[in-house]
Amino acid sequence: MKRSGQLLEDLQKRKKRQIWLAAAGIVLITAWSARETDFSVVSVVRGFGEIVRFIGQDFFPPDFSAFRSLIGPAVDTICISFVAMVVGAVLSLLLSFFAAATTSPYRWLQASVRAVCSVLRNIPALIWALLLVAAYGLGTLVGTLALILTSVGTLTRAYAEILEEIDMGQVEAVRATGASWPQVIAHAVLPQFFPGFVGWSLYKLELNMRASTLIGMVGGGGLGFSIQKGLKLFQFQEVCVAILMVIVLVLTTEFITGKLRERLI
Amino acid sequence: MSAILEIRNLRKRYADGTLALKDVSLRVHRGEFVAVIGPSGAGKSTLLRCINRLVEPSGGSIIVNGVDAVKASGRQIRRLRREVGMIFQQFNLVERVTVLRNVLHGRLGYRNPIAGALGLFSRQEIEEAKNILRRLGLHEQMYKRADELSGGQQQRVGIARALSQKPLIILADEPIASLDPATSETIMQILSAICREDGITCLVNLHQVDVAKRYADRIIGIRQGTVVFDGPPEALDDKAVGKVYGP
Amino acid sequence: MSMEVDWAPAGAARQTGRTETPARRRRDPVLTGAAIFGAVFFVFGLIHLNFDYGQLWKGTLAFVRSWAYLFPPNAAEWQPILAAALETLYVAVVGTVLAVAVAFVLAFFAAENVAPKTAPLVKGFVSLLRAVPTLVWALIFIVAVGMGPLPGILAIFTHAVGMLTKMFAQSIEEVDEGVLEALRATGAGWLQVMLQGVLPCVATSFLAWSVFRLEVDIGESTILGVVGAGGIGWEMANAMRNYEFDTASFVGMVIFAMVYSVEFATNRLKNRIRLRG
Repeated sequence: MKRSGQLLEDLQKRKKRQIWLAAAGIVLITAWSARETDFSVVSVVRGFGEIVRFIGQDFFPPDFSAFRSLIGPAVDTICISFVAMVVGAVLSLLLSFFAAATTSPYRWLQASVRAVCSVLRNIPALIWALLLVAAYGLGTLVGTLALILTSVGTLTRAYAEILEEIDMGQVEAVRATGASWPQVIAHAVLPQFFPGFVGWSLYKLELNMRASTLIGMVGGGGLGFSIQKGLKLFQFQEVCVAILMVIVLVLTTEFITGKLRERLI
Repeated sequence: MSAILEIRNLRKRYADGTLALKDVSLRVHRGEFVAVIGPSGAGKSTLLRCINRLVEPSGGSIIVNGVDAVKASGRQIRRLRREVGMIFQQFNLVERVTVLRNVLHGRLGYRNPIAGALGLFSRQEIEEAKNILRRLGLHEQMYKRADELSGGQQQRVGIARALSQKPLIILADEPIASLDPATSETIMQILSAICREDGITCLVNLHQVDVAKRYADRIIGIRQGTVVFDGPPEALDDKAVGKVYGP
Repeated sequence: MSMEVDWAPAGAARQTGRTETPARRRRDPVLTGAAIFGAVFFVFGLIHLNFDYGQLWKGTLAFVRSWAYLFPPNAAEWQPILAAALETLYVAVVGTVLAVAVAFVLAFFAAENVAPKTAPLVKGFVSLLRAVPTLVWALIFIVAVGMGPLPGILAIFTHAVGMLTKMFAQSIEEVDEGVLEALRATGAGWLQVMLQGVLPCVATSFLAWSVFRLEVDIGESTILGVVGAGGIGWEMANAMRNYEFDTASFVGMVIFAMVYSVEFATNRLKNRIRLRG
């Protein structure tokens, strides 16, 4: 009787020790990283005054006369992220049937589609844009293509996972009626698939909106290009307007997709 | 006998306009075990929560051991609360920490803010917490996480937490409403035995009239925010019950 | 059997097409509107962006041809590239850990249930931090403090504070009101209720969000170098600028390996956290 209490107490103590050890590990790694990057509180404190002064004096007040010239790039940004999401979603829809364990006709096909998507997903959109600029030249095309690639990477996996969670009982039932493969897909798979499909697509639209404001920095068009250009020309008050527009775009997208998602459930 | 708790003309209106307590006056003597009965929504919970200021009273006065709780502010509220233990229907334990730690939470009002926040308790406090758990038969469960315990055991931990405050008064808000009948019986026995042994005054909200009659020294019936019955259990006949619960 | 019966009316309704049957579920007009708007906007977007489809074809050919230059990857400069990869990790770790520390404190002032007075203000503030992308923060900090890892760390820190504070605050808001009430009833002060009552309830989800954020930040950190905020992105931008495609492909592989292994490691970590529950 007494021993089980003792055992629990020991277990508690060991757990506590583990937590402290993990915490110490994190502190050590962080300290090492800070040392390697010459990061010090002193430099931050010293830099902080400069940052506040810079943002307070050079960025404000925003120069709203630049607003009109920024509408074009802003529309570009919206179009890029939306078109990339739609094209990415369509491509992913096709690919996901090959990437899901439950619907893929061959195992090797499933594995290779997943591998390709993993590469597409794990290389950031900005790097893709950088790689594509050399072949396609500057412009919105590169930005759109880069976002399509990452969209395919993310969405194919997401859709495939939704497919794998589909209730096979319903699929069986439809198949039992003698339905062909496309009929099974249309009548048993899609209805279960739809809410997750839309949810993930909207989420990717949000991500694209954030990313597309940046892709311009390497020549992919849109607001990112205006920000990069303005900073190089020291037109900080114009940049401030562009950044405010980014904020508005991102928050608006978040708001709209959030509302749509609420309606889906 | 001296009154340890004296409530005069207590009134509570919530922000949404509902009048939970109309005009409640009552005196409770040291060591009394009082059951408060009444239909749900009668204001039982509000009455208890006004006493330790979890709910802000709208008017009247509540004298706890000579101090007016309604006028108490900041530091005084903390002092008041640590002298008044509370037990809840849903036990309200911090489920992810050990049973012992949950009992020690009863000492927070006595520790200085920083030490208490960091969970530093004196050796004596820990020893006392262990003794309370031993008294309630939970010694073996001391180092278990609170959510590993059964409902009845969790409520005993809730009682232990209140006891570790060394309270003058214990407020129990429907302590057995989430438990099965057998466990309910055990919990009521423990609660009444401990209050009698330690001379702790106890106010228990109950909705089972039979339980109230068996354990309480005195029963207070509340209906629509007013006291409609106040007397010994023997006096609570069918007619009186009808007055409390209405046609 | 019952499956088939369930399925039949739905299928029938679908096959009958436009004829309205009572069994047919009514469509949400807002969602239908959004779908139509989406389709129209897609066409508008395509027209507006006015892609040169000849360029798309030529570019694709050029891109495929450039694959020849990508192989074999040139690992000759592996030392500076791996050093840059390490720097990327360092930047992400420092930025994220600092952000976790700050968000940990801020979250208690951003949660409606425990700090109703400060919550709207803090929430509004962090949503601004969150809405500006990390890379834009990096550009601002580069102008303010110069190039190098410091602006990268600050950028990751700033954006991550915005996101983590929101998530931490959400976890705090999910804490059972009864537990807070019980601790207040013992006479515990605000700080005591937070650390003794709230913290044990939210610790696991704080940990999970922090790990998730570290994963995201390592991804973000790889691209910061492109604008000059230190790390491996710089190597990539450099190689591309000099048309050293074989070096670029090596850098790409390093980035992939790094991000992929982080995804793998954090997935395992997340599973363990979930198991501990």
